[in-house]
Amino acid sequence: MKSIIKHIAIVVFVISSSLLNAQETLNANDTNTFIFGGDQQTNTLSVELLPIAIVDVEPDPSTGISGSADLTSLEAGLPFTGAADDLDGLWLNFTHRAENFQNARIFVSTNQPVPAGMSVNVEIIATGTGGDFPSNPRVGQVNLSTTEEVIVYDFANGYTGDGLNNGYQLKYTIDNPGAVSLPDGFEIIYRIQ
Amino acid sequence: MKKHIIYLITVLLSFTSYSQLLPGTLDVSGFPSVSQDISDLVQEAGLDDGGIGFESSFDATLVGFTLDSSRDPVFGYTTTSSSNCSENVYRYKVYMHTTGAPQNIKIEARTTFNSGIRFPQSAAYDGLSFKPLGPRDLTPENGGNYILIPNDGAAAIKVFEFIGCREDIPIQFRIEANSLAMAGISDMTVYYTVVGSLD
Repeated sequence: MKSIIKHIAIVVFVISSSLLNAQETLNANDTNTFIFGGDQQTNTLSVELLPIAIVDVEPDPSTGISGSADLTSLEAGLPFTGAADDLDGLWLNFTHRAENFQNARIFVSTNQPVPAGMSVNVEIIATGTGGDFPSNPRVGQVNLSTTEEVIVYDFANGYTGDGLNNGYQLKYTIDNPGAVSLPDGFEIIYRIQ
Repeated sequence: MKKHIIYLITVLLSFTSYSQLLPGTLDVSGFPSVSQDISDLVQEAGLDDGGIGFESSFDATLVGFTLDSSRDPVFGYTTTSSSNCSENVYRYKVYMHTTGAPQNIKIEARTTFNSGIRFPQSAAYDGLSFKPLGPRDLTPENGGNYILIPNDGAAAIKVFEFIGCREDIPIQFRIEANSLAMAGISDMTVYYTVVGSLD
């Protein structure tokens, strides 16, 4: 019995404290609430939001937000089995907000020509569940060159969540029968617009 | 002491003679404009922009409420707004809501403790040793922190209250915009509703 009273007291206390903390509201559409001894007026609030278009590949291969992936550490001629894990462990994150809800795309290209005898391909193989964004990836491999290719088709405002397992998972496939090296400073560039 | 008793009697008589509150006028001035700066934007791709707020100036809007002047129906003399405010001290609660706010944008507002100016600056009420409603002060809700303003007139939220007439109460706004919101300029209407009470 003592225990029940104690529990009832706790419940009453919790309910009372929640009532005390509740913020007061009013039906301001009902003029009777303020017609005697009160009043109602308005003004206009203007809010300006900037557009956002930022893209990133995680984990960051370099410092800061580069928006690119650097594969210069890959050495042609080494066994591909050794690098295979790293070649599908990258995730493409983005945040996008546009005027008039205009759609955006994500493009991919290289900053230098891929050496003759070698091909570098990228493919979106999975979509993360984080964030809040409409998914519209390109299906199949994209052969990389200095010419931009669409890798994510038209999408509306959204954000993918940050880091691994968010956004789009990328997989690189390198065909290098001639065992040539990538040039110094070779980069893969992602651009959102 | 005699003065206090006389004033108390006057106040009580005025409460008795007016079965309802005296009418007053809410004055709202200012056209608040809040612009997002590049430093207000999310810096890491993938993150939502919604957690980063940006503010208006602290006095983007000024609010005041004073009792109207009145005319005695029998003798014809006029009592000024200042006199009415001095002799009739009520409690006023201020509720706010918006209409036309875009989706995925949070509008918050606040003011600070005792912001604004008493009207009139001094009143006989201030000298009473027992003040029925307490001092003519302003008390913000939520400890003066920002309060989310609903985009729904049926649920206008109390932002602050004050005792007696008061002018030039500054209102500051903070905006938090989700990445799903539309970029550009959006206008919305902010409603300020004052409710007076005797207690």
